[in-house]
Amino acid sequence: MKQYTGTHEWVELRDGAAYVGISAHAAHELGEIVYVDLPEPGAAVTAGEPCCELESVKAVAEVNSPVSGVVDAVNEELADSPEKAGEEGVWIYSVSSPVLMDGLMSEAEYKASLE
Amino acid sequence: MADYLSITDAERAEMMKLLGITKISELYSDLPRELRRKKFALSDGRSQQETYAALAELAAKNATYRSIFRGAGSYHHYIPSAVKSIVSREEFLTSYTPYQPEISQGLLQATFEFQTMMCELTGMDVATASHYSGATAAAEACVMCADRSRPVVTFDNIDPDTLETLGTYLKARGIELKVLHAGDGSAQYPSGTGAGAVYFESPNYYGILEDVNGLTSAAKAEGAKVIVGCNPLSLALFKSPGECGADVAVGDAQPFGMPMSFGGPYLGYMAARKEFIRKLPGRIVGETTDADGRRAFVLTLQTREQHIRREKATSNICSNQAHCALTAAVYLSLTGPQGLKEVATKCASNAHYLARELSHAGAKLFYEGEFFHEFVTVTPGKASKITAALERKDILGGLPLDKHRILWCCTEMNGKADMDEVVKTVKEAL
Amino acid sequence: MKTVFEKSVKGRRGVQPSALDVERYDYESYRLREELVLPELSEPEVAAHYTALSKRTFGVDDGFYPLGSCTMKYNPKLHEEIAALPGFANAHPLARADKVQGCLAVIDTLSAYLAGITGMDGVTLQPCAGAHGEYTALLMVRAYHRSRGDEKRTKVLIPDSAHGTNPASAVMAGFEVVTLRSAPDGSVDLDDLKAKAGEDTAALMLTNPSTLGLFEKNVLEIAGIVHGAGALMYYDGANLNAIMGVVRPGDMGFDLVHLNLHKTFSAPHGGGGPGSGPVCCKAELTPFLPDPQIVRTEKGFRFGRGDWSVGRVSAFYGNFGVYVKALAYIVALGGKGLREAAETAVLNANYLREKISYFYPVGDRRCMHEFVLSMRRLRDETGVTAADVAKGLIDRGIHPPTMYFPLIVEDALMFEPTETASKEMLDAAADALKEIIALAYSDPDALRSAPHTTPVRRPDEAAAARNPVVKG
Repeated sequence: MKQYTGTHEWVELRDGAAYVGISAHAAHELGEIVYVDLPEPGAAVTAGEPCCELESVKAVAEVNSPVSGVVDAVNEELADSPEKAGEEGVWIYSVSSPVLMDGLMSEAEYKASLE
Repeated sequence: MADYLSITDAERAEMMKLLGITKISELYSDLPRELRRKKFALSDGRSQQETYAALAELAAKNATYRSIFRGAGSYHHYIPSAVKSIVSREEFLTSYTPYQPEISQGLLQATFEFQTMMCELTGMDVATASHYSGATAAAEACVMCADRSRPVVTFDNIDPDTLETLGTYLKARGIELKVLHAGDGSAQYPSGTGAGAVYFESPNYYGILEDVNGLTSAAKAEGAKVIVGCNPLSLALFKSPGECGADVAVGDAQPFGMPMSFGGPYLGYMAARKEFIRKLPGRIVGETTDADGRRAFVLTLQTREQHIRREKATSNICSNQAHCALTAAVYLSLTGPQGLKEVATKCASNAHYLARELSHAGAKLFYEGEFFHEFVTVTPGKASKITAALERKDILGGLPLDKHRILWCCTEMNGKADMDEVVKTVKEAL
Repeated sequence: MKTVFEKSVKGRRGVQPSALDVERYDYESYRLREELVLPELSEPEVAAHYTALSKRTFGVDDGFYPLGSCTMKYNPKLHEEIAALPGFANAHPLARADKVQGCLAVIDTLSAYLAGITGMDGVTLQPCAGAHGEYTALLMVRAYHRSRGDEKRTKVLIPDSAHGTNPASAVMAGFEVVTLRSAPDGSVDLDDLKAKAGEDTAALMLTNPSTLGLFEKNVLEIAGIVHGAGALMYYDGANLNAIMGVVRPGDMGFDLVHLNLHKTFSAPHGGGGPGSGPVCCKAELTPFLPDPQIVRTEKGFRFGRGDWSVGRVSAFYGNFGVYVKALAYIVALGGKGLREAAETAVLNANYLREKISYFYPVGDRRCMHEFVLSMRRLRDETGVTAADVAKGLIDRGIHPPTMYFPLIVEDALMFEPTETASKEMLDAAADALKEIIALAYSDPDALRSAPHTTPVRRPDEAAAARNPVVKG
């Protein structure tokens, strides 16, 4: 089950690891994604802090990590097909032994916050 | 008075009527009163004819020379009339940065062609659309390659203006600059400098060709990025920095069709391996297709730039030297590979002839290293006497580096007769 | 259209250099490159290629060019001839000072004019563009505070409406950026300024008139707050064209300014450069100007260096061939002509604004030399964007205004007609815009697919950025 941040990232726990992506709303606002500056596996990320960037032709969006921990894996597919980062449910990186940030929203709460 | 306005008095009155004002000063009603009240003298203008005369009078106060043997970063080359004519077309001269690609395809394509030419000359994968000068290109390349914890290393045989500019740019970013002494005029890379990036020039300030391969591999072996500064004309002959393993090539392409013009505008260039493509400072043109599948050119990777990334941009550069890049592209199209090699060969052949003859006349070469089209002679205590004697014959001699040494430059503009006269004059002065 | 490389035919020659009249020098082969691939074309082919490219480029003489913030005024032909005078074009930058007194007089005279126009005391012409001038001035700000032992001023205040070069230059000069909120009319939010200006503030960078084309009414109060905090006032000269000869930044309380000679003083933009970005400053900042300086003596001009200088920011003395054109412009117009140019630029902008302002204007005040419309309502009502409107203007022979800037206005279009536009141009632009807005409601697809009259239609910029092809 996905949980959302106020800055439009989502996180989902699967088998003890946290998978992070951006919401469809954020992807729409950014426009067609042309480049993903992926974090390095092994890098430490801090909840609420920027950890990687998505670029469209005329804008840059920082991804604020919804979790603290160490980057376990990155979605290599995005290196060649960055536009997929904007598709519903596509993850960008995963974190092992994650500590979730406070104040995450459920999908319903997040959708309500966009109204 | 020249004014270049198109609004007549009658039109002005009509426009003011539409705006409901009777005096132009009403348009400035937002200005605080104490500023509006402030009076200062305004001079009268002059006609175009008078303006030309006034500026021509200043131009005439500069000495003119029948031959020039001074380079040191500003080179006197032949500029084909076709270069000057083509680049003076108003579409190229007056347009803005090509942010509207549909009506800027010509400029974008010409810049793309320039980038291609610079990549070819330097042996690199990507070139930017230009920088203010070779000095700022070198400085920005060093900032790009440096990591904050390790120094940038360079040598005291690089162009002095470039060295000072490097110092300014790196100091502002809190990056240490270490300047190593190049003992016999050539750079040697010692181990253990701890450098994050190394910058050297070939040919260097004294005209000497460095061991680009050797320096590059020594620096890279210790984990440093390597930036090589090159007069791009020399690259018509010599192995490119890319072929020698360097990461970034920079320099000034003024020799490709730009007049000396008292030091500018010139053409800083930067070319790099493809892994730097998203770190490069300044504009880059890329190829794509339009809605109908036709080839089209656009400014690309703009997220690196200040107008999008603001304080996180790779540089603050906005205006560059676009028209100079166009000039270089036209120049290189006109010379072609064969013509460019011939120009470079003539420069080198003249320089080696003059060096040999001066040496016979008593002005010995100060350094032993092989050189391109500049070299240093030594004549104890006589440097300024020699250049003064040449001045009296309307010849701009080499640049005195101190009381003893002169940095000479030959280009394709110098004929044998001119060089023989220099040699004769030097002999008389010694 | 084929590239110059694709047109190349092996063995074809263009301009050939004169023959060697000394022995040919051959380098040892290990130094030599094997191959050099450049276009091989005759001179007529090169002329034809670039002429064709020029026809695919829109210049100031090709039609109305109201590109906001860029001051696309007419570039006098006279100035090209002056810059090409052999006495200037063939001057070597390292000739002895007594042999280039004409060039040094150009620098000295222009510097004096610019100091007079801005109300400042010291000038450097070395910066090669506006952003380069910003950078230079900020280095001077830093050196100034340090010379007073004031090491803690590490922050520069920049309004959120500023050009992107401001924050980028501040970072390059070693500062941290603190963003100031703008009031809805684009002016500085005084409360935010008061809260953020303090003992760690080095300077405020301000564009006046603002990027919304409005004069900062509270500029004197702003200067009071900034100076009261011990910081300096920096003037971004991007919009000087509205006020030259009318009011001086020095009188508004600014300590340093940079100018864009390629905007305000008629030097051509050259497709993106070369420009010239002089910095002018008050007397207490002159010790920090870049080296070298031109010094006037009884025997003429010579070069000097300052003990406190920030050092060099580029080679030689900047873009001489550009700023000599600005000198010609100032000589021709005189102070009176500059003032008339500013007033006419403001009149033209207000006239055009008045004629089209019922389309979504931003603010209700008279503008200075430029104004901003917001296409947000149009987008909401028709789906037609600011970019679509811009492309529609292209089909009507008009260069689009600046799009999506300033960032504080949604779907912004920024118009700057300049003083050299004719009334016919302004009327035609107003008509074209009316026609486009009507079309947005009747046939939005016609605009979404515009332009229709250009050599190419909208390029796929996403594909270009995703898989960069940056050489042929």
